[in-house]
Amino acid sequence: MSFVGRNIGVELGRRTILHGVDFSATAGQVTAIVGPNGSGKSTLLRALCGEVRCTGRVAINGRDTSQLKGWQLAGMRAVLPQAASLAFPFTVIEVIRLGLSAGVSVRRDHLPSRALEAVGLAGYGGRFYQELSGGEQQRVQLARVLTQVWEPVAHGAPRWLLLDEPVSSLDIGHQLMVMELMRDYAARGGGVIAVMHDLNLTAMFADAVTMVHRGEIAATGTPAKVLTDATLSRAYGCNLRVNCQPPQGGTWLLPHAATLRAG
Amino acid sequence: MTLATCNEIAVADPPDRAAAARRLSLWLGLALLATMTASLATGAAGTSLWAALGDLAQGRALSRVDETILWNIRLPRTLMGALVGAALAVSGAVMQGLFRNPLADPGLVGVSAGAGLGAISAIVLGAALPAGMMALIGAHLVPMAAFAGGWITTLVLYRVSTRGGRTSVATMLLAGIALGALAGAVSGLLVHAADDQQLRDLTFWGLGSLAGATWGKLMAAAPIILVALLGAPFLARGLNALALGEAAAGHLGIPVQRVKNLAVLAVAGATGAAVAVSGGIGFVGIVVPHLLRLASGPDHKTLLPNAALLGASLLLGADMISRTITAPAELPIGIVTAILGAPVFLWILLRRRMVVEL
Repeated sequence: MSFVGRNIGVELGRRTILHGVDFSATAGQVTAIVGPNGSGKSTLLRALCGEVRCTGRVAINGRDTSQLKGWQLAGMRAVLPQAASLAFPFTVIEVIRLGLSAGVSVRRDHLPSRALEAVGLAGYGGRFYQELSGGEQQRVQLARVLTQVWEPVAHGAPRWLLLDEPVSSLDIGHQLMVMELMRDYAARGGGVIAVMHDLNLTAMFADAVTMVHRGEIAATGTPAKVLTDATLSRAYGCNLRVNCQPPQGGTWLLPHAATLRAG
Repeated sequence: MTLATCNEIAVADPPDRAAAARRLSLWLGLALLATMTASLATGAAGTSLWAALGDLAQGRALSRVDETILWNIRLPRTLMGALVGAALAVSGAVMQGLFRNPLADPGLVGVSAGAGLGAISAIVLGAALPAGMMALIGAHLVPMAAFAGGWITTLVLYRVSTRGGRTSVATMLLAGIALGALAGAVSGLLVHAADDQQLRDLTFWGLGSLAGATWGKLMAAAPIILVALLGAPFLARGLNALALGEAAAGHLGIPVQRVKNLAVLAVAGATGAAVAVSGGIGFVGIVVPHLLRLASGPDHKTLLPNAALLGASLLLGADMISRTITAPAELPIGIVTAILGAPVFLWILLRRRMVVEL
């Protein structure tokens, strides 16, 4: 089962953001979309989830998304926006319960608190969403999205998490935690597609990487195949070398070296 | 998850605001019954509701005067006050949900101003109509014109702000401000052309009043308002999801465009009908939903019914003040709602600034 985009083209105003690109993600894997600022990586995700008008064809588990109703899609995939403001003073648990309104998860009543626990915010249910920090708000939204498609597989078909920069405002500990969550979801049979800014975390957790550059697909494949000196240097406009210690020494820190503590 | 378990802040289950909101519905329902009874018992004339009920209970007929006052004056006025109050409060709540802005109000997007222009046109230009025609439609002319003005404003607003089947909330808000200004300017021109008697009518209408309540007006407005009131709760789930933004609501499976269309229809209908029979009564649409959100949270499933109940009670209360404070004369009810509502609104703004970026 897969999430496929064929010949996706997006124009915003007179600018062409995506020039007819192909994209494919497989269930059971974490697929990362990377690329420099303004490359079109977020637009690709928004085209895949139907948020922007695009040419071409998008299919989820072999079904054309343009043929599916909104509520059907809502049962197959959930989307985490990059930034989410909230109009009214909802509490955290009320925000997460909105994920239930997609209405396809079983044993629903406990899901919101379990989702809160999963993103490390147990006990935050009664707090006001607007009073949380940016990173906490991002994790609340993730919990809402998880609640919508809690079981990674439903009726024999995988469900999908489409995440736009899910770790962008998180500290390194919570980044690792959320990446673990994504990996776990994929391991249990679901599909995860995430726009990623952090190349280290991408290299650590992604099973497949698609690099977008100037509205085209620059490379696609395993992290080792895509994250190479030549591809990275061309796309990001500076000389980059992977697996290279800083020539000047100094302090440096990689998420690879971290382990999540038990207890 | 390890980080979850090391979080030592043991907090009990969050208070269930939904249950609190349902309890509140009960109290608001009782309050409405009480204010309706009080409204029937209050008036400039000396007629006593209790004496009349006692007479009826003992099988005695009411005097003609008492019957007229209770049945033809106080009862339609009470029912209309309840309906208009409910319509204004629910219109405000729906519009705020639609625009994801706690300050949105039918007054803000020009619906009330458009309805006002219709009414003023009818008052000023109606005099020029042939006498035979006036005799035929005279009583209904102002309400009908106000209603039509509200609808036309909404339709124009929609044409301006909808492209390719999608409504931009920002464009709609700004277009509404422009349309409201335009309607206000044309209204001003008409007022300039009005004579003294018309000016008095205009002032009274402009500040809002329930004094003109008759069974005829009530029957004209009630079906539209009731359809809007009973239909609004079906929009609750959609409006809740819209709080996350249109895109996120769509990803939750909400038919966003349909929810927006229906919300606009409900608002135009309820506001148009309310303005038509009672003029421009301000602040109910903003203050009532705000108070309820403070008391029991922003969930539209309970907010919309509670807004109807509280709006009805508050407007009846304001009407009783307007009828009795300068009796036997009457204050326009819009003055009462503004004097009571504006300070509450400012207080809410000061409080809310801490929680929500307005």
